[in-house]
Amino acid sequence: MSEIISIFSQILFILFIISFPVIILNNNSKSKFCEFSLIDKLCINLIFLINVLFFASILNINSKYILYLYLFLIIFLYFFNFKKINFKNIKINYYFLILLLFIILISIDIAHELYFAWDTKSFWFFKTLNFYQNQKFENLKNFPISDWPHLGAYIWSFFWKFPFSGYEYFGRITYAFIYVLSIFSIVEIVKVHIYQKIILAILFISLTYNYEFFSGLQDILIFSFILIASKFTYYFFEKRYKTKLLELTFILLGIANILCWIKNEGLFFIFFLIFCILIIKNLDLKTKKLLITGSLTIFLIKIFILNYYEIFNSDHFIGSLDFKIFNLFEKMKIISLYLSIYLTQVPIYLITLPILIYTSFKYKMKDITKFNLFFLILNLLFIYVAFLFKSSETELQVRFSLKRVLFETSGFYFLAIVIFINNYLHSFNQKIFSSFKKKH
Amino acid sequence: MAKKFKKHSGLLLIIVFLLLIFIYNHNLFRKFYNIIFTNYETRLIEKHGYCYDDSVGFLRMLKKKYKFNFNPLIINYEDSVPNSGWSIYDTYNKIDKNHKILLNYPKKYLLNFKPLDNIFYSKDNIMHSNGIENIVFNLKNTNIRIDSDIKIYRKTLNKKDIIYEGNFHKIINNNQKIPIQFITKKINSRYKATFIEISELNADQLAKINSITLNLNHEFDLKDFTIIEKFNNCYYVK
Repeated sequence: MSEIISIFSQILFILFIISFPVIILNNNSKSKFCEFSLIDKLCINLIFLINVLFFASILNINSKYILYLYLFLIIFLYFFNFKKINFKNIKINYYFLILLLFIILISIDIAHELYFAWDTKSFWFFKTLNFYQNQKFENLKNFPISDWPHLGAYIWSFFWKFPFSGYEYFGRITYAFIYVLSIFSIVEIVKVHIYQKIILAILFISLTYNYEFFSGLQDILIFSFILIASKFTYYFFEKRYKTKLLELTFILLGIANILCWIKNEGLFFIFFLIFCILIIKNLDLKTKKLLITGSLTIFLIKIFILNYYEIFNSDHFIGSLDFKIFNLFEKMKIISLYLSIYLTQVPIYLITLPILIYTSFKYKMKDITKFNLFFLILNLLFIYVAFLFKSSETELQVRFSLKRVLFETSGFYFLAIVIFINNYLHSFNQKIFSSFKKKH
Repeated sequence: MAKKFKKHSGLLLIIVFLLLIFIYNHNLFRKFYNIIFTNYETRLIEKHGYCYDDSVGFLRMLKKKYKFNFNPLIINYEDSVPNSGWSIYDTYNKIDKNHKILLNYPKKYLLNFKPLDNIFYSKDNIMHSNGIENIVFNLKNTNIRIDSDIKIYRKTLNKKDIIYEGNFHKIINNNQKIPIQFITKKINSRYKATFIEISELNADQLAKINSITLNLNHEFDLKDFTIIEKFNNCYYVK
């Protein structure tokens, strides 16, 4: 029973930690961040926390100091705001309660299954151990494939160590938290009743949840943050958020920084997303400049850190590439074959791609639909280019990793469902409105 | 509040129904029960094995008993799992190659080849061999004459990576061990199938061969070490 109590406490701890800064600053600040929904605020706080953890990791700041600082600020602000909290006005947020319930359910599954995936045993767990045992960032050199990003492992080690320093899976509960939060976040933008949103969220979770993704692999983090990024990019296309473009840009850059330190392909996906926004959306010059310089800075920081700590293994990188043209056709065939197989095995694509195509033809092509289609093209191009120039073991690489790469970006295509439902409801409402007009 | 629930009772029923399906599909009540009544260590060993698969149980027992102040060299012969070192690794210690833990150690280390058109292939994986000891032909007849090159190779995009190539000019008896004694680490591969090609045998002669076995040399032979701890086919040696 004590383990179950620890799991509950761990979830509450994560919730407590990510209540800072936006939620508890709510009463004191006029910041536009405070105008977002509760789920958005949790996402923003999560992005903030993970960026703080990232800087702590590369600057070799002991993670316990980050925890102390967070605890001090949170407790101080809670006390400071205590008088301003009107307990009579507190309403039960059922959407949030179901979100918590799902985190608990998935945590139980993680606590029971416990097994690690192949890559976790070979690489990711060693990175996690490095930080769990308070080793420095540069010590990653002593482990296989040291130039693979470390941030997912750092998050795992942080929540494994705090608050109980108990079992390793306590750290992976955070992955479940981020995953469920991302699903509930994307569903929030569907313009339907809250109970219908809950139904949709449960369906999305049922469609995507599989313990394998929580077996220490980082793909679920890429999936979740792309989902969160998709939600905030959706806001770029919404009139309501026109005044919050600066805030949205910062959020997107925050996610970009996280993604490029979780897995190398994350960098490409988020830059594709930013590129699509720049191409499709008519942004003002200031926002464009910020997005471009921010993206470049994130990229340059990555290069600088890898070189500064001498973690980047250029021999390994160059050795993994093969530019021989006579193999390209053979490789294209292999990639196309596996791509067609795996597209049918990731159920999200089976549902979202036909919906995306249907929406593009059926309804007036909006910017957000163009944005979705453009990302799809870049995504497919990336898959071909990435695997075409891999060295000799193309088939093995494709067989073992293509499905995971497809899953990582699949969350983005939930936007297709959101667009479809919102379009359908919009045209449905218009029909009702016009028939009502005719009658009167 | 009650009115609000009544108004959306249909949707609420769907939510409850979907939740129950999710719980049922993932067997979460059973898992909840198991977490309460089975401790973490037992669950972990159930998943990763005591002396099979990752053999985490054996490794954790050794770490507890011998209180290692080094990381022993861990060699797992089970090809469905990578190295099991993760389960007892200490980032402050160095690897001491004098202390070895051999997990799922096979008594006979071999590759079995079955006929496939005009060649023979094996899907078995070998990771810790340092060469070929002998070759055995399982025949339909009592013997067969082979006057041909024998090539053992793997394929990468239709390109052959030769592991061994030799001339055979002799009569071979059924299940006779024909010594090769060829030292090579190229025989080790986790993912790729291995092929044997006997180029100058005609279809009739090939049809007389049921299978071919390559007996391999161990990279870590138990005879060369002192066994400190043993459980089934898991060994801690020095």
